[in-house]
Amino acid sequence: MDFLVTLATGFIGLFQAGANTFVSLVTGIVPLLLILLTAVNSLIAWIGPERINGVGKWSARDGLVYYPIRYVVFPFLSVFFLTNPMAYTMGQFLPEKYKPAFYDAAVSYVHPPLGIFPHINPGELFVWLGIATGIQKLGLPIVPLAVRYLLIGLVVIFIRGIVTERITMWMWPRENEDTAVTA
Amino acid sequence: MHTINTWLMQFGRAVGGIVGVLYQAGRDSVDQVIVNILPFMAFIALIIGIIVKTGIGKIIATAVAPLAGSLIGLIIISFIAALPILSPLLGPGAVVAQVVGTILGTTLIASGEISARYALPALFAIDAQVGCDFIPVGLALGEAEQQTVEIGVPAVLYSRVITGPIAVILAYLASFGLYPGY
Repeated sequence: MDFLVTLATGFIGLFQAGANTFVSLVTGIVPLLLILLTAVNSLIAWIGPERINGVGKWSARDGLVYYPIRYVVFPFLSVFFLTNPMAYTMGQFLPEKYKPAFYDAAVSYVHPPLGIFPHINPGELFVWLGIATGIQKLGLPIVPLAVRYLLIGLVVIFIRGIVTERITMWMWPRENEDTAVTA
Repeated sequence: MHTINTWLMQFGRAVGGIVGVLYQAGRDSVDQVIVNILPFMAFIALIIGIIVKTGIGKIIATAVAPLAGSLIGLIIISFIAALPILSPLLGPGAVVAQVVGTILGTTLIASGEISARYALPALFAIDAQVGCDFIPVGLALGEAEQQTVEIGVPAVLYSRVITGPIAVILAYLASFGLYPGY
């Protein structure tokens, strides 16, 4: 009988530990998240996501100067205003040859800003939060980590955009080479 | 009188518009929390509970610690996650990245077994596969032609093998001075 009780206590304890974690997540994260989401959602509604269409047409141009616009500024704005997954619709403003690289840059930026702009991808918050929780348990501030994650993310999507664009060009069929290189 | 009436009407309309936008934003946010965030918190809380109580966490931690606590190890993790055969399988819902991140965070980083500054490169190492499951859909959302999709899918997958480890190295370099003393 005692054995059964010990077993049952252990069994319940397993879920009690989970329940305690759940309560600390809900009280510690959800209130701030909810207010932040409300603020950013209203900001986006006021500004109007359609304004970034202009940036799209601008970033479609050829030339080295437009690389940072196409693979840093445009993905950032798309992800910020349209969030995952609607951000990828902004690829429509780019020529075919740039679409895979733009997708790569945009999709790689749905996690790095989560520490500061969780509205971008609230369903995948724990890519950031899982590791951030560990930092919090050490008694360290998580904002410095969030800021660096966001900034390095911009460098990473820039590199990703360029590398993927190169690979796309390289794989583009020969009969289309003229349009692919000079268009 | 007429101008005052017009002005009042415009003012009222503007206030109504602002309140309406705020209220709608609040409603959307509550929806997002209930539909997307709370279910995942329940799932993660259960996993944390099991990991902490059963001691599985300790086993995983000792097995993964040498890998997650060094630059080379994190590069290897990102390389494996970016392999073109694995990356589309690891991608969906970022569930793998979220679970691995939570295990790393709640065990190794929380206990101080791996240095806190490794949190930054680790964030990129566990996420080298981000969006690899979604390339055809993502390109279709961008109104890409069939040929672009056929080239774009392998192009992004191959690119990740190169840029996954690069991201980890960059994050490692950027982690100097992040948490002095840890």
